[in-house]
Amino acid sequence: MVSSTANPAVGPTANLLDEAPSYWVIVWGQFKKRRLAYASLWLGVALFALAVVAPLLASNKPFLWRVDQGPWQTPWLGSLFDRNFFESGLDLFFNALLVPGVLILPAARMYWFYTRTRRRRQRSRARRNFLLYAAALWTVSFAAIAASTSSKPKVLHPALATQLQREGHQVTAVYPPFRYSFRDVDLDQIRAPVTPAHWLGTDDAGRDVMVRLIYGTRISLTVGIFAVLIYIVIGTVIGAFAGYFGGRIDAAFMRLIEVVISIPSLFLILTVAAFIEQRSIFHIMLIIAAVSWTTPARLVRAEFLRLRNLDFVAAARAVGYSEVQIMFKQMLPNALGPVLVTATFGVASSILVESTMSFLGLGDITVPSWGQVLNTGRTTGIWTMILAPGFAIFVTVSLLNLIGDGLRDALDPKMRT
Amino acid sequence: MLQYALKRCLLIPPTFFLVSIVIFVVLNIAPGRPGEQAQLNGEKAGAQQRESYRIFKEQFNLDKPVLFNARFALHINEVRALLMTAYGLRQAPTLAAKLRAQNELEDLGSYLVRHLIALLAQGQEPLMAHAITTQLVQAARRPLLPDSGPNDQLARTTNRRISAQNSDFMNWTLPDNASDEDVAATTEKWLGWWKRNHSDFEYPGSAKPRIFFTDTRFYKYWWNLLHLDFGQSTADRRPVLPTIISKLRYSLSLTLISVLLAYLIAIPLGIWSAVRQNTTGDTIVTIALFILYSLPTFFVGTVFLRLLTEGDPVAWFPAGDFESFGADGMTTLRRIADVTWHLVLPITAYTLGSLAALSRYARTGLVDVIRADYIRTARAKGLHEFVVIVKHAARNGMIPILTLLGSLLPVLVSGSVVVEVIFNIPGMGLYLYDAINLRDYNAVMGVLMIASVLTLLGILISDLSYAFADPRITFD
Repeated sequence: MVSSTANPAVGPTANLLDEAPSYWVIVWGQFKKRRLAYASLWLGVALFALAVVAPLLASNKPFLWRVDQGPWQTPWLGSLFDRNFFESGLDLFFNALLVPGVLILPAARMYWFYTRTRRRRQRSRARRNFLLYAAALWTVSFAAIAASTSSKPKVLHPALATQLQREGHQVTAVYPPFRYSFRDVDLDQIRAPVTPAHWLGTDDAGRDVMVRLIYGTRISLTVGIFAVLIYIVIGTVIGAFAGYFGGRIDAAFMRLIEVVISIPSLFLILTVAAFIEQRSIFHIMLIIAAVSWTTPARLVRAEFLRLRNLDFVAAARAVGYSEVQIMFKQMLPNALGPVLVTATFGVASSILVESTMSFLGLGDITVPSWGQVLNTGRTTGIWTMILAPGFAIFVTVSLLNLIGDGLRDALDPKMRT
Repeated sequence: MLQYALKRCLLIPPTFFLVSIVIFVVLNIAPGRPGEQAQLNGEKAGAQQRESYRIFKEQFNLDKPVLFNARFALHINEVRALLMTAYGLRQAPTLAAKLRAQNELEDLGSYLVRHLIALLAQGQEPLMAHAITTQLVQAARRPLLPDSGPNDQLARTTNRRISAQNSDFMNWTLPDNASDEDVAATTEKWLGWWKRNHSDFEYPGSAKPRIFFTDTRFYKYWWNLLHLDFGQSTADRRPVLPTIISKLRYSLSLTLISVLLAYLIAIPLGIWSAVRQNTTGDTIVTIALFILYSLPTFFVGTVFLRLLTEGDPVAWFPAGDFESFGADGMTTLRRIADVTWHLVLPITAYTLGSLAALSRYARTGLVDVIRADYIRTARAKGLHEFVVIVKHAARNGMIPILTLLGSLLPVLVSGSVVVEVIFNIPGMGLYLYDAINLRDYNAVMGVLMIASVLTLLGILISDLSYAFADPRITFD
């Protein structure tokens, strides 16, 4: 492995350490060779970008707004952190990503440039600078946003414009491509068919289905990613303790895991969700995490049982590392591969669970989840509302499964090419 | 092997016990009790409604603490504070706080008596004494013991005494506008009663551990469970267990047929696909399975329902239910045909997902095995290719998908809720779905417990079949 990538001109002994690719570089190289998985990864990133830029595509707040010869106003910018317009903390979070997200792009380009051209040391410096820049940017913008969230009175700009025009005013407004919010009910447009104005029609409260699906991306991805983050952490810690210490601790944790997997998970999830009044999607993430942590726990435990007898662990102990350091600094990086694979598949299945919950009416009813749209499709029998959200779920889940497949193959030393 | 099986079976009861604790705690810490909302809304409806709610709580043991009962350690000051709030004797409490305090006092029940009497004995203002005696009527009343037959003399005499007392208490109830003299007279009656009956309401040290563990919801539930009594549904007041058993017929036929079909199709498909690895046929099958794998059941079900049952475009299948109305009168053969006709769509929707997963595993399992030396040896011996694949390779390659049964069963048991809701099949899943929407605790508990038992059995079967299929595996 080393000799194949080292520069032959430098000689076989020179800078072997400097040039030897690290484990994750190899895995990344392997992953890139799997075209389908690699393409899926970028499509997944595009999906995430869609979730971030949703307000740029769809909002009933105009970017620019002027009545007669009055001052130019920017209602769209004001609405981004308006608690009265985006009620969910989730939307505020994604809007917060939107602002520094734009600023971070040039820095990412710069970072990429550095990694291409410079040696290891310069590369690590570039990485550090980039991370510092990113962290600073995000901290500043999140602080600014937290300070600037507001609660403005509700104004329906499209309706206001029509009214003003009827009164003889001249209204100039520049809207995003889809000038509807995902939430505002329009009783004149109930169950509208597919038209140039409503690409996928409207639901039985007159809300544009297309816009709801775009914003639904935010819900699905957030629930998927955060639920998995939570349960991966729980599962890894429990699995690490069980596997590292073995004996009674292991037996106790295994017992606990056995108990949790004996309860049919969807039944439990639905029951707990139904008993929470005013559930938010944060509840849903927690519920999913609470029943799903057993998979990574068993995985990490098995890895740790294997690793703990290896020499490097004995060496770390001889050097005097503490148990926690050995577990999480020395052993965990070696067990991370399979965890990453489970996490990827876990995001897919969490998205499925969330949409199942909202399909059954047991999700967060205030957010435009795909499952909820599909449920409306079921009750109304309108094809666009069945096929479009179904397709959205299918594509997202497929992408994640493809990424997971590719990652698993890339991590498997037997499958290296 | 036998030892392993035995050990594995013996582990089931303790696991089930732990499972029941988890389910019980999860359900009982959930905010909101059945009927509470109606009671809160109807506060003005007055005493009668409150009383029926109290009886309801008593009937379903909702007045007891969840896991442990430390109410014997209640302090008199807490009681005083609660009384003040509940009867509005302190600065006006909010309605919600008042109701909460009233509820809490009701729940404390007989554990209050000792403190109430002590408070009375301290001498109170008439208003407070009035409140205390009112509370006493409710707290000191005791339920009758279960009467086990005409020969149960002890129960009879005790019950006679209890009901006599209870009617006494009712007579001692003071009207809202009682005069101070009436209050004083009633106070005397209570103090006199206490002298005669105080032993019933005092908790010596020896009784405390018993109360701590047994006078709880969990204990009562388990005690009934040991008699196979899952309690009554709060929605239709019928025992839960027979209902669930009658529902199980639908759910199990759905799940078992689906598992069977999935295995019957997945294994040959996986073998076929593995043998023709990297041919066009294999690629097509792999892609098709991948698509099926990522299609959510509820989406497939909805599309089937919309496409094939509503008459727009076609109505080839019934739009739900397990069998036609009046299926009881049909001949056996026609009835089977009828049920099959009803189940085609739900089972197809339900099977697709697990089918895809299983086939993928079957293919990977066989692909790994086919490269092994002993397969080459078998071929070199001149065995027919069919024998090589089916007898030598498949037997080993299919072991992983046997173990999958264990993890598939919980998913399938609970996955039935989606299919049952979409196709309106009156199985366990739909029953649970209705029960959680009505907050029917006993029904929800019952379904979760039965489903857990099924899952435990499923895991047991898959573990045993695994051990049976692969003699190399030892369990020490």
